[in-house]
Amino acid sequence: MMQGITIDYSSGVHFTLVLLPELVLSVCAMLVLLVDVFQKGSRSEPSASWIGWLTLGGIVLAGVANWLLLGMHEPATTGMMAIDAFRVYSNYLFLLAAALFVLIADRYITQENIRLGELYVLMMLATVGMMIFAGSRDLMVIFIGLEMTSVPVYVLTGVNRRDRRAAEGALKYFLLGAFSSAFFLFGVALIYGGTGSTNLPQIAAAVGVEGTGANMFSLVGMAMLVVGFGFKIAAVPFHMWTPDAYEGAPSPITGFMAAAVKAAAFAAFIRVFLTAFPGLYEDWSSLIFWLAVLTMVAANLIALVENNVKRMLAYSSIAHAGYLLVALSAASNAGAAAFLFYLVVYTLMTLGAFALVASVGRKGEEHLDIEAYSGIAWQRPFIGVVMTIFLLSLAGFPFTGGFIGKFYILGAAVERGLVTLAVVLVLSSLVSYWYYLRVAWYMWFRDPSPAATRDGVIEVPAPMRVALVIAVIGVVLLGILPGRMLDISQKSAATLIAPETPGVGMTR
Amino acid sequence: MNGLYSAWILNLLIFLPVIGMFAVLLSNEQKAKYVALAFGILEFAISIPLWALFRQQDAAFQFTASLPWIEPWGIFYRVGVDGIAVVLLLLTTFLMPLTILGSFNYIQKKQRVFYAMLLLLHTGIIGVFCALDLFMFFMFWEIMLVPMYFIIGVWGGERRIYAAIKFFLYTAAGSLLMLVGILYLYFRHRELTGIPSFAYTDLLALPLTFREQFFLFGSFALAFAIKVPVFPFHTWLPDAHVESPTPGSVVLAAVMLKLGAFGFLRFLLPYFPEAATHPTIATLAMVLGLCGIIYAAWVAAVQPDAKKLIAYTSVAHMGFVVLGIFALTMSGIQGAIIVMLSHGLSTGAMFLLLGMLYERRHTRRIEDFGGLAAVAPMFCAVFVLTAFASIGLPGTSGFVGEFMALIGTFQTHPIAATLGATGVIFAAYYMLPMVQKIWFNKLDRPENQKLTDLTPRELTVLVPLVIMMIFMGFFPKPFLDRTEVSVRQVLDRVEERRAASRPDIGLLTPPAVEAGER
Amino acid sequence: MQPEAFEPTLLGLIALLPLIGFVINAITAYAAPERKIIPTIVGPAVVGVAFVIAVINFLGLRSAELHGPIIQTYWTWMAAGSFQIAAAFQLDQLSMLMTLIITGVGFLIHIFSIGYMIADKGYARYFSYLNLFVFFMLVLVLGANFPVLFVGWEGVGLCSYLLIGFWFQDREKADAGKKAFIVNRIGDFGLLVAMFMIFSNLGTLDFAEVFAAAPSAFAYGGAVVTAITLFMFLGATGKSAQIPLYIWLPDAMAGPTPVSALIHAATMVTAGVYLVARSSVLFALSPVTMTVVAVIGAATALFAATIALVQTDIKKVLAYSTVSQLGYMFIGVGVGAYAAGVFHLMTHAFFKALLFMGSGAVIHAMHEAFHHTHKHWDAQDMRNMGGLKKYMPITWVTMWIATLAIAGVWPFAGFFSKDEIIWQAAARAVGPFTGWFTLVWVVSLVAALLTAYYMTRMMILTFHGENRTGEKERQHLHEVSPVMWLPLVVLAVLSIIGGWINVPHALAGTWMAIIPHSEWLHEWLHPITAMADEILATQVGPLAEQAPLFGGGEAVWGTVSCVLALAIILATSNVLSKKSVKVASESPEPTGFRRVLYNKWYIDEIYDAIIVRPVLFLSRVFWRVIDQGIIDGAVNATGYLSRGFGWVGSRLQTGHLNTYAFAVVLGVLLILGFVVIR
Repeated sequence: MMQGITIDYSSGVHFTLVLLPELVLSVCAMLVLLVDVFQKGSRSEPSASWIGWLTLGGIVLAGVANWLLLGMHEPATTGMMAIDAFRVYSNYLFLLAAALFVLIADRYITQENIRLGELYVLMMLATVGMMIFAGSRDLMVIFIGLEMTSVPVYVLTGVNRRDRRAAEGALKYFLLGAFSSAFFLFGVALIYGGTGSTNLPQIAAAVGVEGTGANMFSLVGMAMLVVGFGFKIAAVPFHMWTPDAYEGAPSPITGFMAAAVKAAAFAAFIRVFLTAFPGLYEDWSSLIFWLAVLTMVAANLIALVENNVKRMLAYSSIAHAGYLLVALSAASNAGAAAFLFYLVVYTLMTLGAFALVASVGRKGEEHLDIEAYSGIAWQRPFIGVVMTIFLLSLAGFPFTGGFIGKFYILGAAVERGLVTLAVVLVLSSLVSYWYYLRVAWYMWFRDPSPAATRDGVIEVPAPMRVALVIAVIGVVLLGILPGRMLDISQKSAATLIAPETPGVGMTR
Repeated sequence: MNGLYSAWILNLLIFLPVIGMFAVLLSNEQKAKYVALAFGILEFAISIPLWALFRQQDAAFQFTASLPWIEPWGIFYRVGVDGIAVVLLLLTTFLMPLTILGSFNYIQKKQRVFYAMLLLLHTGIIGVFCALDLFMFFMFWEIMLVPMYFIIGVWGGERRIYAAIKFFLYTAAGSLLMLVGILYLYFRHRELTGIPSFAYTDLLALPLTFREQFFLFGSFALAFAIKVPVFPFHTWLPDAHVESPTPGSVVLAAVMLKLGAFGFLRFLLPYFPEAATHPTIATLAMVLGLCGIIYAAWVAAVQPDAKKLIAYTSVAHMGFVVLGIFALTMSGIQGAIIVMLSHGLSTGAMFLLLGMLYERRHTRRIEDFGGLAAVAPMFCAVFVLTAFASIGLPGTSGFVGEFMALIGTFQTHPIAATLGATGVIFAAYYMLPMVQKIWFNKLDRPENQKLTDLTPRELTVLVPLVIMMIFMGFFPKPFLDRTEVSVRQVLDRVEERRAASRPDIGLLTPPAVEAGER
Repeated sequence: MQPEAFEPTLLGLIALLPLIGFVINAITAYAAPERKIIPTIVGPAVVGVAFVIAVINFLGLRSAELHGPIIQTYWTWMAAGSFQIAAAFQLDQLSMLMTLIITGVGFLIHIFSIGYMIADKGYARYFSYLNLFVFFMLVLVLGANFPVLFVGWEGVGLCSYLLIGFWFQDREKADAGKKAFIVNRIGDFGLLVAMFMIFSNLGTLDFAEVFAAAPSAFAYGGAVVTAITLFMFLGATGKSAQIPLYIWLPDAMAGPTPVSALIHAATMVTAGVYLVARSSVLFALSPVTMTVVAVIGAATALFAATIALVQTDIKKVLAYSTVSQLGYMFIGVGVGAYAAGVFHLMTHAFFKALLFMGSGAVIHAMHEAFHHTHKHWDAQDMRNMGGLKKYMPITWVTMWIATLAIAGVWPFAGFFSKDEIIWQAAARAVGPFTGWFTLVWVVSLVAALLTAYYMTRMMILTFHGENRTGEKERQHLHEVSPVMWLPLVVLAVLSIIGGWINVPHALAGTWMAIIPHSEWLHEWLHPITAMADEILATQVGPLAEQAPLFGGGEAVWGTVSCVLALAIILATSNVLSKKSVKVASESPEPTGFRRVLYNKWYIDEIYDAIIVRPVLFLSRVFWRVIDQGIIDGAVNATGYLSRGFGWVGSRLQTGHLNTYAFAVVLGVLLILGFVVIR
């Protein structure tokens, strides 16, 4: 740990320091773009295979830059960009997702003959957006982050131009996204009207500890923010776009969306509500409560009847948004920590699961139906075992990170006295067992279906293998020895919640 | 040496099967079963000293080991056994090699994975018996479902998928609510003491209002009642048993059902004594137990499928266990424990025997047999003996358990005990017709006429079980001695909590039995 | 003789020996079934040796003066807090007597079995079962507490199950075994509950302690003791084939005939009588129960006798006669004449075992005869026999002796035991239930006369008149081998003199005084019954000197019954031996009331209709409707229901953008409403 620098916004250098990871990643993105363009020239031919490694390098660099943030202290907690462990943590989360994405996508995308260069650049820019989205402390900047995240992802969704489903999904996503962004912006405006500021701590101050300073403007504005975030995290009833978009996008990208984009939105969500509106906890907690209940129940129930594994996983990701909302509505230190911890596990298992969907789907993603999974486990033990572990983790089974995460969220809820919410959570995850196990039983209990055997072997490219192995090890390790990780997430979460705000904070 | 053993044995017992699992997976398809058997025998061998080294007069947990696991939450890896756990643990390890040896012929495909799963299953079971940390307890409790799910789903019969998923969801449904209950206990404890802890003993000291106890009792009771299974939560059992391969049924009946009853004794009574002894709940328990005994026996009597019949008799036997436990008398609970052990032996043997029949004839329908005693006398002898042990003929383990359980029940719930005693009639009513239809009558079917008698391998599987049934029938004392102190501790705890109000006793009130007795 | 301190010799071994025999024979049966020499020696030998040891103990016991029973504890069986049950044996006058009967008669029957079963494939298996039975029977009578007794109680049930269904390939025989066990279990249920009540009230199940504590713990005629004894008697009715649970015994004749002799005549079926005699204290405390016992006994005695009148299967006749005689024993113990009950138990063991083995000999001979000529006639149907006395004289004579004994003709054993019971019924017709006891007395007299009739009928049909087996078959008829007739002779002697050990004073002054009166058995059993007698004496009062009707003392009525019996025997034999009998194949179906009796009052059919079928039907309902329909239906319904909801939800996912937008707007409105309204 290097000795700390205290940030002084009067110096331009410090400005860049504050945005170091974002800048590094942006620069790398440009670099990749240029390299790709020059390497190809005007000829339309696939990008060089090493472009992926270049991207990875950029991500690693950003990671290093991110580390430097830990050494910086800010004079006041009102800067536009927060410099706290929470931001560092979430940044690493996004970078992890990005790195895994590169590993997963690399071969697969070429096989779909999509241009790697553009893809990676867009992905990196989206990641930059996420970092700003989650790291900012000012609603305006957060909005910018939101858009910086969304726009590249819109494109990524439709990156496979030849695929009609992709185009459709992308369009829906884009239109509804624009729709919700408008709500978000409207909310920001209202809040500004209500509190005279877009800076979270100042809003908090204006709202007051017991929400005494709150007026209808800020309340409605807050509600609008809920809508905006609700859309990004795909909470019911703002989730409608998700299945289509997720199904349309190439699976690795779907994984990236489900994991990273959602994580970013959540990080921003929790930061905004825990720093700006602790005073209004009474108002929004019950709102989130119902949002969570609705999301968990509806998503899990619909997933029951979904035969398309990709769509099923889409619904499952919606359900997980519900679980995370539970953590948010606990709005405590434990809640935030649980939330951070869960995001890591969630990222790993979701990306992993979608990666396998990609490989089972094979060229053109024709085999998304659950039938295609019949007996796979006995033909391709690697896929079988890995997928089973991801499924068990998604279902929240002991000795997987999914269990610890869910357990943590439950704990946060019970600690807050939200026992009903906890019960809803366990019951809805009981429902989820059915469709997760369903995949397992197709893989293990059925005999291979002719469709699966007909068009040959299921290819799991080496990089993807690496990514999967990393993800599996992560999931299992977090399930058996989560101690260290819990520590980190707790510390990071602690930086988010000012202990002196009694509205939220720790009941300990 | 002794000290070293005591410190390490439980850890070894828990994790040896995992090692075995990997060993099996690394071995080849042909060797797998032998590797598994080797680990099974080893497991049993190292568990034997527990029997001798267990200090009978010591109420504290023994062979304890503790290791910080997830400090932020005060979660420790804590193991240890009391008298009740140690006998059940030994039952498990005793049955383990027999189960493996018993599945040599039955399991023909994907043997490596099968034995791996079987070993993993044992880790879960043994972990539950040893866990002294509720978090750890829950983890093992849950993880058991996964291997069982695969055992039923991959190696099961016609409707295996339905049975597997039903088993999984049904049992998971109960335990998930228990998870919430555990968390509630944890936070109440942290509120009161400021120390985060999932330790069994810490949470035991927790003072709870009756209302809290009532709901927590519910959340725990459901989980255990489903596992036991108590009527009306039993319908997953017949399906699971019928579809599961023999070894699965054996482990399920012989050991996994005991986990529920074990939970009653380990958690329900000590943790929520006032709720557990509340007249309404006690009465409810009695009624459900009786339903199990009588209703299940009647349903069993008309089953065309021998395996399903035995599955229902498990429900009936467990009815005696429920009766005995909630009678809250020394002999009641002691009897219940003996019933558990006895049921483990007799029903385990029963499923093995039916499996061996299935291997020969590939049918489980009772009608398809008949007159087999003529061609397979030894087979018949073992079967009949097991059948009579299972219906509680004096001189076998079954009688001792049921007799003690009922006589204990009679002291607090005479009417329930009297009705429960009708179980002896209905036991004969379901068991004897099956025995007759399979072994006696005319040997008319040609395919039955060349049925072979037990092979040496099968005899080696069955004889130890038979010997134990008879031994326990005449000398149950060693087992009772080991459990006595622990049971008394449970009862004392219940007693001191509810000393104020004793539930009404009803017809033929006995002279107040001395406190030590209850 | 100088009474000295008495130590029982090898008490445990008495029971252990048959067990060893069982093991050896069982191994033989599995390993080398053709080696018939092993069971031939081992089977009878173990019982014989046990008998010898029993006799040694008996002699020791006679010369000793006992203060209470001798209890030998072997190990602690069950223990939980104050609930302590020891595996212990108890030797006292009653168990001693029972042991002698079981081992003695048992030995003779073992010997007989050699001849009877030697040809059977399951010879070794047969002897293993038989030995196992003797073991359990000895446990039953020697047990020092109720649970140990119960071990024997159910153990003998098991053996009876195995032996009745010995020829398991035959559906009917297997059914009979099953029926016997299940019906017995109904009785066992009663005994279990009785034990529970005793324990929860007295805190112990040891005979000595229970009977010592009972008089002070229970009020005379109290509800508790009445309940206990009634439940106990339910157990007795099961084991000893009394109404309403007698139905299994006639079917039990499916077993090999020596089994019927040993289990279903001499020993096992008398266990109920033993139980009542053993618990005499408890029964004496409850006048209601005693009346019930006596009345049930009388009813059974008469009822079974009526059925026996018309049966044509020789074993069926004997079976019902056994049921009837057991009824007498219960009359005895019911009216409080425990010694008399046990006395009749003993004499009955002699002559009924003899009768069964005699019938066994007959069946054996008939079977061989038919076998030679491959004639498929029923070897047990008396209508196919007739005039056998010419071919098997020894059997004939010995069976006549037994017949006279069971008919109650002086000076045969049966006279003394049965007459005493009848008289006691009259004498006890005092106190609260005079009317009932009077009825019992009358019924017992009538039943005695019926006995005389059906037994004579059996003898005539079997041995007298012209032979109906057929020309060729006749050549093959011959007396059975000595190994089979020797036991008959021994038992015949016992059937004559067996009764003389207990000749009541009342007969002293009369023409019957030729036999010196000695109430030896009464004195012998006095320690057992003393407490009960005392209770009765104090509570009910002294016995009546005169019969309730027509007056007259014991001697008078003894003479009357004896004379009547003789008269009936003579009359019957005269009438029947003149009457020509058709063989089974030609004789018409019985008609009218005869038919009702022939079909045993249709009791089995009635039970089948009102108990067996309903239970089966209800079981099916439970399974199909409640279990699969309602309970499991509910379980599956939750699954389908949630999938149904899911389906509805998935319908909302139309894929149309406007739907999605609409949903968003809806959500917004909801949220706004939520926030604003709060």
